[in-house]
Formats: sequence, structure tokens, C-alpha cells
Amino acid sequence: MSSLAPTPATAEPQKRAKRPIPRQSKANRPLLYPLAAFRRGATLFLETLLWCIKPGALKRRRRQILEQLFVIGNKSVVFITVTLGVLGLISVFQVLVQVERILPDFSMIGPAFIQIMTREFAPTMAGLMIATRVGSGIAAEIGSMVVTEQVDALRMCNADPVDYLVMPRFVASVIQTTLLSIYGCVIGVASGFIAAGLFWNIPAGTFFNLQLVAYGDVVSGLMKAVAYGMAVPIVAAQAGLETSGGSEGVGTATTRAVVNASFSVVVLDFLLSGFSFLFLSKGPM
Amino acid sequence: MIEFREVDKAFGQKVVLKRVSLVVEKGEVRFIIGSSGAGKSVLVKHLVGLLRPDGGRIFLDDEEVTELTEQQYYRVRKKCAMVFQNSTLFDSMTLVENVALPLRKHRHLKQKEAEAEAMGFLEKVQMDRLAGRYPADIGDGLRKRVAIARALTMDPEYVIFDEPTTGLDPLAAANVDRLIRELSDVFGKTSVVVSHDLRSIFTVADRIAMLYKGEVLLDGTPKEFRGTSNGIVRQFIEGRPDGPFEFPRIHGA
Repeated sequence: MSSLAPTPATAEPQKRAKRPIPRQSKANRPLLYPLAAFRRGATLFLETLLWCIKPGALKRRRRQILEQLFVIGNKSVVFITVTLGVLGLISVFQVLVQVERILPDFSMIGPAFIQIMTREFAPTMAGLMIATRVGSGIAAEIGSMVVTEQVDALRMCNADPVDYLVMPRFVASVIQTTLLSIYGCVIGVASGFIAAGLFWNIPAGTFFNLQLVAYGDVVSGLMKAVAYGMAVPIVAAQAGLETSGGSEGVGTATTRAVVNASFSVVVLDFLLSGFSFLFLSKGPM
Repeated sequence: MIEFREVDKAFGQKVVLKRVSLVVEKGEVRFIIGSSGAGKSVLVKHLVGLLRPDGGRIFLDDEEVTELTEQQYYRVRKKCAMVFQNSTLFDSMTLVENVALPLRKHRHLKQKEAEAEAMGFLEKVQMDRLAGRYPADIGDGLRKRVAIARALTMDPEYVIFDEPTTGLDPLAAANVDRLIRELSDVFGKTSVVVSHDLRSIFTVADRIAMLYKGEVLLDGTPKEFRGTSNGIVRQFIEGRPDGPFEFPRIHGA
């Protein structure tokens, strides 16, 4: 170990060896960045799933999961009510204005609206709302913990940040996105009926007709809600965990979380809609 | 003994460490000094796997720890505790719960057992009376004491202090300095202290290494530092604003 002796007090900076100084890793090249980010996101998703299925994991994190159920779900109810309510009202109103010009019969408006609300609007609008409200919250919270070294402190205590921070948010988000999508569907359809009944005198029996809603539509809607519920916390947590550079970094991470989570909802919607169209039953309920 | 051998680290295009080699002998209080942004904290975080080097090797008691997995690092983190610059107590937990956390996670104690043991550590730093309070309820100096208690729960052989006296009033800072010295003199622990607090450097350190532009500029005893003819070191330890010392540029500026 003689070569490891401290540098004499009068020594100049250590002599350079032949090894070149690393400049930039491949992951930082702009073209490879989205691929690298996707790979890290997929890894985080798998890690989170592993923590979820560990024996006793849900019981151990019960307190944090309940907290997150409240933060993600209850605090989003008003937001979802207003958004889906207005969307239902406007959609039915605009459709009826157009249909009135070409068709004398409004009997299929209600069933068609309920179908599209079930398989498309309710889960996707709820997903987008959760991506903005919940995604930004998760990224800001975890990002702040990263820049104040609380995440490092967790790791020093032998506590995995994925288990402590990501898993409870993931579980709560899946449950609440699904419940809020169902709730949003009910609100959207109900407010759609308000427009139909109030301005075109369509009776409730005609509007609330499920004849066009197939099993596949319900499965497709639920599948999308669960997928968005999984994607949003993972994308947001990844942005939070990769925060660097103090409070400015937290802001950047929050913006990135909202953009990426919304983008992931749109991409998943496209993929799952295609899957549903090709593979799910179109038979009546 | 801790040994960093030619460690490199860059964040994107910003090179922080350039082939840094450093040895920390057992039982000593080893200071790593330098201006803000010189890479001091980055260097010590490599030892416990909070950061991974781009090049070079790191040894702990003659065992290479450079390539360990996150799980394998838990063993290293039991041996090397770390007191962070911001204390990093968890806001949602009481002080005693904060100190009990490593006992629960590393030693798998039940909550009540862990808290009973944690109280003993809080007593050592005279914080037992405030055990049920939350970190937000107490001042920086007291938070630092709790963070030290938390670091000591696993009876580590090495304790890393990241700027332990920054932001503390002179009395609180002197208390922390005394605690660091006692850890070495009374309990035989090895301390690695990242600091630019000149008062602490010359009252507590056994040996000092100064990082400048990502390299070790000088490595020696406090006496050797005082007697050095190196203009950059002299300017730094004398705290003069003018001289050959080039302050690190803000990345991107």
C-alpha cells in the first residue's frame, strides 16, 4: 500500500494517467434520450410491481396507501366532476345541434353517447386529469425529497425508495383512477342527459338505453383506466427521482412529469383502442 | 481503511472528479475541503453507493465496493453511516421514529423495540426530551444532533459528515465539532468530514485533503496546510477573496 501514501504537502495536482476523462455518457445523447428514459421507466415499473406482489407488502404500507388514496382520489373528485360534467353537457349539446339538421330521430343519441363515454371519454379524460393533477404532485413531492437528500437518506437506512415512495402511490393511483373513471362516466352521462332533456325534450327512458354498450366496451374502458392508473404514477415518480439542480430542478421535473404522463395516456389510449377493436367482443351486454 | 483510487465522475458534460485518489486511515478524522461545487460531497457519496463512478475503484477495508449492487451496498451502509448536509430527517416521522428507521430496516427490529433503542441514542445527543416532536418543530442545530444519533444507530465503523456545521450558530457548530472528535478519540470511529468551515478544519482534523477543479490539490496534516507555499491553498485557508483561486463556473454559464 506504499503507493497509496498521501500526497506530500507541497505537491502539485496529481499527475494525469493515460486514461481519458469521461465526457458524456451515451444516455445523454439527445437521440438516445427517449429510449433510455423509456428503459428506465420500464425498469421502475417492474420494480414497483415486484414490491407490490411481495408477501405482506400491501399490509406493511397500508398507512401510506390510505394516505395516497385520499390525496389521489378524494382530492380529485371535484376536478373530475366539473371536467366530465361539462364535457358530457357540451358533447351531447353539440351532437344534437348537428344531428337535428340531418336526422329526425334522436333515439340513438343516448345509447351512442353512453357507449363512447364508457369506452373512451370517461377513462381517458379522467386519466388526463389525473396525469396533470396527480402527476405534478408526485413529481414535486419526490423531486423535493431528492434535492434535499431525503431519498439518499432513505437508501442509507436500507429503505428502498421504490418501496417507500413509489409503490403506495402506484397502488392508490390504480384503484382511484378506475373508481374515478366509473364515477366520471356516470357524471358525464347524467350531464349529457341534462342537455338532451332540457333542450330537446328527450325522455330518460330513451336516453338511458344500454343497447349499444357491449361487454367489450366496458372491458376496454376498465382496461384503459387501469393502464392510465399504472402509467401516471410511474412516469411522474421517474421524473421526480431523476430531479437534479435544486428548486429549479423540481420545477423542471414537475413539467416533465405532466407532459410525459399526458403523452403516455394518449399513446396508451391509441394502443388499447386498437387492441379492443381487434380482440374484444362486440356482443351486447 | 477507505481508499479512492483514480475515481472519475461527470454529470453530463460537467466533469466533477478527475482521477481522484485518497486514503482514509482507520480512527482518524479526515477532512475533505474545497469550495462549493468542488466535488467533495460527490466523492464521499461514491463510498456508500449513492453515486456510481464513471471510472476508478473504491475500497473499504481492502474489499472493492465499486461494482456492488444496491442490495450489496446495504452492508456497506451499515458500516459507513452518513450525516447529510440538510440533516434529512423525514418530515412525516417523529424524531424517535426517524432514529428508529435504520434499526427497523437494517436489523429488522419491531417498531416498539426499535423506538426503545432509538431513545438511548437520542439520550446520547441530549435529544430524548424532544423525541415525540416532528423535525419541523425544532431548529437546525437540534436536527443535526438527531441526524447524528440516527447515523450512530448501526454502530458504524465509519461516519461521513457532509458539511456538518454549515448553517449552525457557533455554539451548535462547536458542539458538533466536539462530537466528531469524541467519536474518534473515545469510540475509535473513523470520520470523513466534508467541510469548508475553516474553524472546524484546524481544530478537529487529523488530516486534510483539498479538492480543486475536481482534483486533489493538496493532502496533508493541518500543520502542513498552514505551512504550504501553494498560493491557491493559502488563499482558501486564509479566506481571501483575491488571489490565484479560480471559483468554479456555474454549469451552462
